[in-house]
This record gives sequence, C-alpha cells and structure tokens, in this order.
Amino acid sequence: MSEKEVGTAFEVPIGPQHPALKEPILLLFKVDGDIVVDVWPRIHTHRGIEKATESRNYIQNIYLCERVCGICSFIHTLVYTQGVEKLLDIEAPPRAQYIRVIVSELERIHSHTLWLGVAAHELGFDTLFYYVWRDREVVMDLLELISGNRVNYAISTIGGVRRDISPEVADKIRKGLDILEKRMDVYKGVVEKEPTLRERVVGVGKLSPQDAIALCAVGPTLRMTGVKRDVRADDPYQAYDEIPFNVITYPTGDVLSQIIVRVGEVYESINIIRYALDHMPSGPIKVKVPWYIPPNEVISRGEAPRGELFYYLKSNGTEKPERVKIRTPTLANIPSVCKMLIGCHVADIPIIFAGIDPCLSCTGRFAFIDEKKNKSWIWNNEELKRYSLKWYGKA
Amino acid sequence: MVSLEEGVEKLKSYLGAGNILDVKFQPPRNCFILIRADKLRDAISYMVNELDCKHLITISGVDLIKDNQFELIYHLNDGTNTFSLRTRIPRDNPKMVSIVDIVPGAVFYEREVYELFGITFEGNPRKENFILSDGWPADVFPLRKDWTIERIRERLEEERRRGVKGI
Repeated sequence: MSEKEVGTAFEVPIGPQHPALKEPILLLFKVDGDIVVDVWPRIHTHRGIEKATESRNYIQNIYLCERVCGICSFIHTLVYTQGVEKLLDIEAPPRAQYIRVIVSELERIHSHTLWLGVAAHELGFDTLFYYVWRDREVVMDLLELISGNRVNYAISTIGGVRRDISPEVADKIRKGLDILEKRMDVYKGVVEKEPTLRERVVGVGKLSPQDAIALCAVGPTLRMTGVKRDVRADDPYQAYDEIPFNVITYPTGDVLSQIIVRVGEVYESINIIRYALDHMPSGPIKVKVPWYIPPNEVISRGEAPRGELFYYLKSNGTEKPERVKIRTPTLANIPSVCKMLIGCHVADIPIIFAGIDPCLSCTGRFAFIDEKKNKSWIWNNEELKRYSLKWYGKA
Repeated sequence: MVSLEEGVEKLKSYLGAGNILDVKFQPPRNCFILIRADKLRDAISYMVNELDCKHLITISGVDLIKDNQFELIYHLNDGTNTFSLRTRIPRDNPKMVSIVDIVPGAVFYEREVYELFGITFEGNPRKENFILSDGWPADVFPLRKDWTIERIRERLEEERRRGVKGI
C-alpha cells in the first residue's frame, strides 16, 4: 500500500492493471471517508488496431478484428465481415446467417456465465463462481465442437462462414443446451433467494434510465434501467428478424438488476439457438467475394454480450481499407459506470465496476483521495477486495 | 420515431436546404448527411431534442488528406434508425465546437478524436490524455495519414533515446 499527499483531497487510483479483465484502465477516486465523491477514468495502452487495419488487407483484418476482444471475439468478426459485405452490397447466404446467429448466441451464453462467475467472485461468493465456471465448460465445448477453437473461433469470413453445422453436431448442441438450462435454473434461484448475495447487490450502484440514455449507455447496462433497447431487435442484422425472442429488461437499475438481466438473456439465447437449429435453411454457407473492394462507406452494428458494437468502414478501391473505426461497448459504458460509482462505498467499487462487465484490463491498482484527511494511497485489486470483504464482515 | 426520409426532410427544413450539402442513404436503417461545419451543432441539437436521437453511437474521424480536410461523423441513433451527421473541417486548422452540453456521453468520444487526429473540441472538459500514454509526444496524432507506422515508430524511438518515460 502506498500513500501520497495530493492537495486537500484523498486520492485512490484503481488501475491500470487487473487480472480478471483484458484492457487496462485507471480509475482515480476522490473519497470523503468511505464515500466516493468523484471518479476520473483513464484508459491505458491504446493498441493501435484501427491504424493497423489500414496496412492490412480485408482478409487479414478479420483475424486482427477478432483479437480486439478475447471474450466477445466472434461478434467482432461478425460485425466486421457484415460491414465488408455491405461495402460490396452482398449478403451472406441464409444458412451462414443462421450459423452466425448460433455462434454469437453461444458466445453470449459463455460471456454472461463468465461474468456471473466474476461477479460472484467479486462478492466473495466463490462457491457460486466455481459452479458457474464449471458449467460454462459445457458451452465452451460446444463452441470448440463447432469451430475447432475455444476462444478465437475464426468462423465468420467475408461472404459467409468457414464451417457448417452437421445434424450430429446440432444434436450435441441441443443436449448441451438442456444441461445449461437446468443449471441456469439453479443460478436463477440463487440470485432470487440467496440473502448473502442479495444483501450485497440490492440498491448498490444505482443508475436512472434518464442518466443511462443521456450518457449513451448500451447493452445490459442500459437494459438494467428498464430501457428496452437491443440492436438485435431494433436494427436486426443477419437472421435475427426471422427469430422470435424477448428483450430482457429490469426496472431497478442496480447491480441486482444487472444480474437478473444477464441471467434472463442466457435463457433467451438458449431459445434462440434452439429455434435457429430447428429452422436452419439448407444451401451454401459461403459466397465468393472479390479481392478488391470498390470505394464505399458503411456502418455496421451488432449486439455484443456487453452491448452495441459499432464499426464504420470506408473502402478506397484497393485490397486494404481506408478507415476502420471500432467503438466497443465498454467505452460507451464508462461514463455510466462513473455515474454509478459516485456516492457508493469504497467496498462496493469492485462489484459496481465489474457490474458493467468491463472489457478492460485493470489489475487493480486503485487510487484513493480523501478530501478531508488530505492523503492518498494506492491499493491493488487484491487489497481492495480484501478490504471490501472485511467491510462486509466476511474475511 | 421518424423514418429516414422524414428525418432528412425535417432537418432540411430546419437548417435550410443550402446548409445540407449531400445526403446518402444506406438502406435499410442508416443515412449519411453532410452538413456545413458551422451548422453542425445546431443540427445535432435539433436531432437530439426534436427527433429523439438521444443515443450518440460514437464520433468517427476520417483523414481526407487529398482534400486537405478532416471529416467528423456523428452517428446519432433514435433506437432504430441511425443518422450519420458529418462535416468537413480544414486540415490546417482542425477545430470543432464540443457537444458535451447537448449529449453528455460525448465527452470521451471527442477526447478520443482529439488524441488520434488532433482535432480540438472547444468546450470539452477533458484535458488529460484518455487513451494514449502519458509520455506520448503532443504533436503525434497516430491516425493521421501522414503519420505512417514507420514514422511514428522512429519518432517514439527518438523520444525514448532522449529519455522520455512512459511512452
């Protein structure tokens, strides 16, 4: 633990490294005793992927975009390849669109169950964490069965997908989904009834729907305030306009609401995959595309597990793009999480920040500023978590 | 919620047809509208307050080095349709008025465009680096086309040799 004097305030920096997450962020907290009065976010390590795309061809960029994120890697290739198809004014064949929907929903299940485990871990509820991550292996195995890979699936390509889903694989997916659904019933019960969990999340990290809209929140962070908005339903892409599903919302706008929305979305994803498997059209899975892309510009959107993912693509007639702009959901949610953190207890920081499912690596060095005591100190993630659990009388 | 064509017509009658230089529809639910730079703030405030496009998806910067211009694209969404309002500003004096007071969520998008393209947003409260490292040279804007990867690499190497930390 390191401390330093900072003017008249007590400063608590959190970040920029964190083992649970992928990209680094620093959160500088101003605290008055135990209450956060201000948050100052700072993202570290810009990786320059947008610049790198300009010196690679469209095929190489599929693999580069896949590596923007390690959890929601498929949605990046989906939105990117969908954008390149729009540049060419073509569409992937119907069967490829269904396969893309199936993989992106499996990815949502894996991401949401991962998040549920992380959230449980942040709350000191490690039993739930172990069980959820054990059952997450079911969906990881399904993804490996379909694509051959556990993390970066490399299945979507320009003009379609690279692998088909055979009837045998479809049966295995159905069986896996049955197991997942049963297990989700257990976790739903835990979230609804378990007092040790509810005590930590009810009323914590509140966000109003007005603030969420004004701060341009996306995904579950927006839906947990009761705003019904989902790119899959509002601006349907791929085969989503042919598949019935519900947009899950919950009105309370606290961490409990985040958990309920995500658990509900796992059920919806399971139903979407079942429907897609039953109604999958036959036919080719890929069309041939030209190497050079004529000058054009498009936007391409998709609903990643964490919210709306956005690509702006501009082509110039060569085999390399002129400009690729990527806006990931976590960047859109940073103003909202800063709002949620103001007024909270220091002990609630880990769960509120984990609540938006941030795709940022921030091994936690959390900096704190105390406005009255005129000192500041730095904690790493472990120290903060230990403090948090002690504060709630669990350590 | 209005359709794309209705939205464009309403914006035209509000701003005056002369201030809208070009409209390009990207079916089914997007369009690009080119607006004169001094009318852009007006246009955004009209779209946000009157046409309910409260969700700013992001701000994209594009370097049009051949025309000696930068292009800024504000992607506004009303839930279904996306109106991509864009404007062009001179490359040798890249300045824009901030829209943070209209859309509070724009603060980091503007800052990102500043750090990567060097376009200043007058009125944006964020003054410190948001995504680039602390020791990053103040005149290197990595997404500008004249800053090639090799040139950036050489420059950073030079800075490191001079003993600058935190690049």
